[in-house]
Amino acid sequence: MKRILTGGLLALSVFTSSAVADDSAWAPTVFNLDNGMEVVVVPDHRAPVVTHMVWYKVGAVDEAEGKSGIAHLFEHVMFKETDDLAPGEFDNIVSRNGGVSNAFTSWDYTAYYERVAKDQLGTMMGLEAERMTDLIINDDPNGPFISERDVVKEERRQRIDNNPGVILQEMVLSELWKGHPYEITVIGNMDEVAALTPADGMAFYKEYYSPENAILVVAGDVTPEEVRALAEEHYGVIAPTGTAHGERKWAPVPPLTETKELVYSDPKVRQPSWSRYYSGTSETRDRELSYALDVGLEVLGGGMTSRLYQSLVEDQQVAISANTFAWTTLHDEGPALITASPAPGVALEDLETAVMAEVEKVLDEGFTDAEVERARNKLAAQAIYARDSQSNMANTFGSTLALGGSVDDVLNYPDAMRAITTEQAIAAVREVFGSDRHYIEAHLLPAEGDS
Amino acid sequence: MKPFDLIIGATLGLGLTACASVDSLQDDTAVVSEPSPVEAALEDSGLDVVVHEGDFAEIQQFTTPGGVSVWLVSEPSIPILSVAMAWEGGEAADPEGLEGLADAVVYHMNEGAGDLDSLAFQTRMEELNMSFGCSASSDWTSCSASMLTDNASDAMDLVALSFEAPRFDDGPFARFLREQEVSLNTRETNASYLAGRAEAQALYPDHPYAREKSADSIAALTPELAKAHMRKLMVKDSLIVTAVGAVMPEELAPMIDEITASLPDSSDLPETPEISFTTDKAFEPVIVDLPQPQSLVRFLAPGLKREDPDFFTAYVLNYTYGGGGFGSRLMEALRVQKGLTYGVYSWLSFDEKYQNWGGSGQTKNESVGDFIDALKAETALIAEQGVTAEELADAKAYLTGSYPLAFDSNAKIASQMMSVRQDDLGVDYFDRRNALIEAVTLEDVNRVAAEFLQPDRFSYIVVGQPEGLE
Repeated sequence: MKRILTGGLLALSVFTSSAVADDSAWAPTVFNLDNGMEVVVVPDHRAPVVTHMVWYKVGAVDEAEGKSGIAHLFEHVMFKETDDLAPGEFDNIVSRNGGVSNAFTSWDYTAYYERVAKDQLGTMMGLEAERMTDLIINDDPNGPFISERDVVKEERRQRIDNNPGVILQEMVLSELWKGHPYEITVIGNMDEVAALTPADGMAFYKEYYSPENAILVVAGDVTPEEVRALAEEHYGVIAPTGTAHGERKWAPVPPLTETKELVYSDPKVRQPSWSRYYSGTSETRDRELSYALDVGLEVLGGGMTSRLYQSLVEDQQVAISANTFAWTTLHDEGPALITASPAPGVALEDLETAVMAEVEKVLDEGFTDAEVERARNKLAAQAIYARDSQSNMANTFGSTLALGGSVDDVLNYPDAMRAITTEQAIAAVREVFGSDRHYIEAHLLPAEGDS
Repeated sequence: MKPFDLIIGATLGLGLTACASVDSLQDDTAVVSEPSPVEAALEDSGLDVVVHEGDFAEIQQFTTPGGVSVWLVSEPSIPILSVAMAWEGGEAADPEGLEGLADAVVYHMNEGAGDLDSLAFQTRMEELNMSFGCSASSDWTSCSASMLTDNASDAMDLVALSFEAPRFDDGPFARFLREQEVSLNTRETNASYLAGRAEAQALYPDHPYAREKSADSIAALTPELAKAHMRKLMVKDSLIVTAVGAVMPEELAPMIDEITASLPDSSDLPETPEISFTTDKAFEPVIVDLPQPQSLVRFLAPGLKREDPDFFTAYVLNYTYGGGGFGSRLMEALRVQKGLTYGVYSWLSFDEKYQNWGGSGQTKNESVGDFIDALKAETALIAEQGVTAEELADAKAYLTGSYPLAFDSNAKIASQMMSVRQDDLGVDYFDRRNALIEAVTLEDVNRVAAEFLQPDRFSYIVVGQPEGLE
């Protein structure tokens, strides 16, 4: 073991060179099939398994007026039935071959995945190709489409309605994104979900599910040549539907033009919390600003060494937690947050005064070079640790490409992060949290009469 | 797994970076034809390394010169190293009236040591891009550290300092108390916590597992008590270490000795008694009121020990009953057919001191009655009629075929090794496990179903505002 390192800058220089030398071992290969389907192969030869994902360039953002929730409900329906696969057979085949499968829907994309021993990769591709082309939606008015709507309602209760903090967040986000397609949360407005029909599902399928609108990601113990051969066999033979237009409903999110306060109280709340949501940015819209903001918010409110934690939790002891965070991984601009929870006996108003005083002080004084260097190195190192998870790597490349980014955006992330200067970091935070900026303030409170 | 040549290892091991030495080993054409343990002494370091050429991981076992037993998987492809440490004895060993003491100990392990106060310690971890922290469960105290191999030796210096001279300063201690005060409030509306409390009160109210932190027990804690208790929880003779990363045994051994040098040899902690959960302990449905639109339903029956000859039979059966995701009997009936839930799962809990066959799911308050009726019907059906030969074949195919997925990251391999060491299953457990599953017969599965899944063995806990319960 080398013992020449003393931390700080020296560690940074050695760390950088080893990461670069290592890049070729995990850099992905990208190519296109003739029908327009994009393919990404991410090598990971540690274990004889693969992660197989198909990403469709459609999400809740693309839903038609009055049809909120269709992207997500449709994702559930994709597990039901095709002309060759009876109900339940998809899951059964994956399981019998030792695989696990699931899917997820975001505002920006929908992704389906299987994780399996590498010799089953062709079988998994066969299954995904089958439901890309031959899905059947049972139109029995009392049939599986209807019972799946009930499942989605239970999913909503479990994820949102049972959790006061999430209910409040949903209220805030729909205010922040008012008039933008992100306004309605992914799972949808329940009245609209209840009215979705099998015909809506089939129309959605025809409009968006086609090979040229999909990205295949395979991470694991395979070579690009093996993946190419299998992908051509299973996906390459699929002709584009001709009905998938490939247009997205993304739009710039206008900055907030007025400041609002939302209060939600619930008998389940036993610890209040205070948040401010400001208009932020996104990596897709402004990568440099996003990275600078990530670094700046790490310094301001990232962890235990951050300015807010040290001032509010440690020194003044008015907060039990204090954080800043920017949601930059959506295609369109997401919020930047300041959030804190009071120490026992501290009123929310006093907490707010203390938090904002510290934020203003930092905006005024700026950051030191040492704290910015620590923050950017920490974020860059997280990219090294993240490589331990194969599905994490597949997700990172898949989501980046689904948003229109490139493999290089992912590969360059650590270096881009380390290049952020102290001036850029503080400028980004000033731009987002400046005293002339509007925001939505959210108070989560116990119900009246509760302690 | 590629063969491992110990002679090459001895020649090249020291003086090279971790990555390079492992790479050269794997490129070599060494001959180890059988997956059997190989033992050889490394001349330079005097370290006896027993290499277990397993089907899923190549585990290197050794005892450091300082006497610590380590299992290591060398994985060169990412320049990181993770070390996990565990000691038997955890929260259940808190003295009565001092509930929260083990939590206080682990909280402070990265809150300052030696000349470094809390902020200086946390800052140093950030400078090194490392993490280090400890946690306590009912019967175990654990610490883990992750670091980049480039500065692993500095990272280990910091971990060593934490074990040698933890500060337990007043500032972090007061913060710990404030956080505890908040969590005493928030747990009262946490559905899973409330279900666990109801389970404890119904089945083992006088057992240490049923003891909870309280305002009084938290108020009785002091930094001095925590500091003294740390020397009881973290001792050499019960320490288990596992590691995965870009490092070789001869590099890791001195680091482990460095970080553990200050630990006391041994200590006395109270044994946790066993909980006897038998069929006569079944109870009437317990409802815990919580104002929310959806109820949590937990169901529980007596289970069986890991050593039980029927354990693997039960394990395979549970996959078909409710353990196997979308394809299980419970999921098919309650989610797919009836739309009653987003998810319902069953588990076999085979903790050394307490075993149960249970499960849980959530459904809107109005349909709790229907949910439990459907649950009982499915349970009765599988108890009476058993599973089909096809279902058993599917269960075995999944459970054996998916096993490699449990070894596809450093983190998972580390966690697998740790649980095998904690349960004392033997280094070849991973290689034996699939054969134990294959050996399960339909006759045994259906016998176990008829015995263990009788609906009247099950009790129910509902947290929410359920309707339709008798």
